[in-house]
Amino acid sequence: MRQRMLMSLAVGVLAFVSVLMAQREQGIVRDEVHYMNFGSRYAEWWADYFTGDNDASSKETITKFFGGAGPTDNNREHPPLMKTMFGMSERLLSRKLEWASSVTAYRLPTALMFGLLVLLVALFTSGVWGMAEGVIAGLLLLFMPRLFFHAGLATFDVPLVTMWFATLYGYYKALYSRWWVIGFGVMFGLALATKHNAIIMPAVFVVHYAWVSVRSQRLIQGPGVAGFFGALFRGMRHCRPSILIGIVVIAPLVFMAVWPWMWFEPWDHFKDWLSFHLTHVHYNFEYLGNNWNAPPFPWHIAIVTTLVTVPVATLLASVCGAIVLVARAYRGQAADAELSPALLLFLSAGAAMGPFLLTSTPIFGAEKHWAAAMPTIAVFAAVGLVAVVGMAVDRLRLAGVVRESRDRAVRIAATVLVGVLVVLASVAETRASQPYGLSHYNALAGGAPGGADLGMNRQFWGYSARGVLPWLSRHAPAEGQPPSHVYSHDASPVWGWYQRMNLLPKTMPDSGHEQAGISRSKFAIVVHEKHFNRHDYLIWSAYRTVQPAFVLTDDGVPIVTVYARDPKLHGPSAP
Amino acid sequence: MRASHGEGDLIVFAPSWLDPVGRLYLGDLIPVDMAARMDAARYEVIWELSARGQRAAEVDGLSADNEQRFGGVTVRRFQRAPAVVLTDFVSELSRTRIVGKASRRPTASLQEVGFEPHRCVLTVPHAGEEVKILYPKVVLGTKLVGYVGLADIFERRDIRQSAGLEIIVGDQSVAFVQPGVDDGWVRFEADTTPGRADVTFVASATSGRRLICFAAEARQ
Repeated sequence: MRQRMLMSLAVGVLAFVSVLMAQREQGIVRDEVHYMNFGSRYAEWWADYFTGDNDASSKETITKFFGGAGPTDNNREHPPLMKTMFGMSERLLSRKLEWASSVTAYRLPTALMFGLLVLLVALFTSGVWGMAEGVIAGLLLLFMPRLFFHAGLATFDVPLVTMWFATLYGYYKALYSRWWVIGFGVMFGLALATKHNAIIMPAVFVVHYAWVSVRSQRLIQGPGVAGFFGALFRGMRHCRPSILIGIVVIAPLVFMAVWPWMWFEPWDHFKDWLSFHLTHVHYNFEYLGNNWNAPPFPWHIAIVTTLVTVPVATLLASVCGAIVLVARAYRGQAADAELSPALLLFLSAGAAMGPFLLTSTPIFGAEKHWAAAMPTIAVFAAVGLVAVVGMAVDRLRLAGVVRESRDRAVRIAATVLVGVLVVLASVAETRASQPYGLSHYNALAGGAPGGADLGMNRQFWGYSARGVLPWLSRHAPAEGQPPSHVYSHDASPVWGWYQRMNLLPKTMPDSGHEQAGISRSKFAIVVHEKHFNRHDYLIWSAYRTVQPAFVLTDDGVPIVTVYARDPKLHGPSAP
Repeated sequence: MRASHGEGDLIVFAPSWLDPVGRLYLGDLIPVDMAARMDAARYEVIWELSARGQRAAEVDGLSADNEQRFGGVTVRRFQRAPAVVLTDFVSELSRTRIVGKASRRPTASLQEVGFEPHRCVLTVPHAGEEVKILYPKVVLGTKLVGYVGLADIFERRDIRQSAGLEIIVGDQSVAFVQPGVDDGWVRFEADTTPGRADVTFVASATSGRRLICFAAEARQ
């Protein structure tokens, strides 16, 4: 156990440090601005609450900080756990201790959650399948380019994956030990307080619990339909019925404890929160050459997007793993067959991706919305990789190539070698994808250009505008000169942040929105997404040219175009 | 390419996502109206810059008279007999008579339709009303070719109903098109008798926010 824990801790720390370093080059995504701002407000409220200042616990004050009449007042459409952590982190690490920049401090909790996720996946996998599987699963999860990118943002998607997996782990442990029912309930409550996706999780537990129940009693209850239902009902009572307490009592209490807005009129506020997501507007999103903004969406979005964004070697290994796990279950050789951890992971991935098969679930967040399926892919990949290497060594031994006495050494060496190769492939892909992780597509797609050929979404959230700031800064008026306004398009909400970070001079302020902003501007940028083409055309009309001054590309694919009003700056030879 | 390029030659890029990079290098040879063309028929010479083995739709069915490779980019030159345009209805908008209730007076402008740029007549009828745009005594050839679509992606997302555009030559309806939100830039064509005639475009929509964008040419 100690060895497993140390190994898991090591990969977890590696994940935390890697993401913390890498995020420094990532642009700020639109949503982060809201989460950082409201995070600071929430942290301020908690500080007041614990010091008894400013009438913090009154309904009026709580509403002022966390609620409101409108569906997005004080960002009440998202639960506060991570925002509060972002705010507290910034308050402590940036403002008080001055150990980190403001943005890094805001993002640190997500990086920490990612480290925890990798740690938990390694720990769980090594406990069920073995040390090699644990290490490899942790590393393959760490080096998934899209997940890695999201892990460096002050958003909720990676923290949700962490809490989702922690809840699964807690549930699995609770099947062994009744004390873990508390841990499970706490985890599920925190998952709900992280992001609304967690609401789907009970579906996983219901199906898995039913399966485990039937399995535990099947032989006793006999064959046939009556035997099945007999096994189900008897097994449900026998296994760990107190798990229900975790879901219906402990989790809601934890959820409410960390969200002060739920401290009064909780049912109404709970409904307000969920109804926002059930009636969410459909943003524009490109998929396979078409722009989608209204259901029905293609049922295969989650599957295809995963196939073209997760490293190919990881995907192949994962398919092998799924086959191996099914074969082992069929032969009665599954690891921990009584509690079926592989089935639990499979159901988890199904629950994460399932809503997107319905064709009505909003798709605009792509992989981040079903990211909770990624641990399953990583674990299956690790199991598959180790199993395939093992089978190859078995063959070599039977063929007399490997001697019996050297079997163990060869097995270890081969596992390490193949594991390193597969992990290095995903390391290389992740490294190449940074800092424009949302433009990344894997070798199956043909990289970023292949993704563009396929008509896949180029990016979203406007963060890549950071890449044109050096060019713009070179053309900034000197201090004291009249400003050159920039039409900053999708980066408008973060423009002030970039100026505060000294990535852009104060003499290049944001010019405002749409036509009025373009009219006022001397420079204009377009962050490329299919539905943003209209911004190019607005700029062409205003500047009377179609020639950019600079085009930022990712592996040759345009991601941001800069236009200048001054004709001297048009074209590639502009100073 | 610059050495051989003549004024008025059309330049296209394939795949289309390379367009910003293409315009960075050759955008000074592409006037805004050319980039926002109705279609490519009026261009005699087309230069295609292609990468990754992709081809531009504008050169479908044409044979290149010159082809050169520069690294990963293939430059092809195409020459063909262009369409002879007798009347460009977008350019002639100023001499029209407008009848009917419009939320916005019809204007000639550059709009996004089907995620592409098009210079067109933009008209926004009142909900359930018609707007008639009358072109008196215009010069017609043997064909009237045009396109219509719904401008602005956000209006297309929020308002899902189609619009209607009827084309009347003299007192005879020659075409009727109902572009939907996902139809893009929809072509229409009608045979016409060479000479002068009144042409009327009748735009209609059930929503008062429907941005109807059309362009048309009378061709010899």
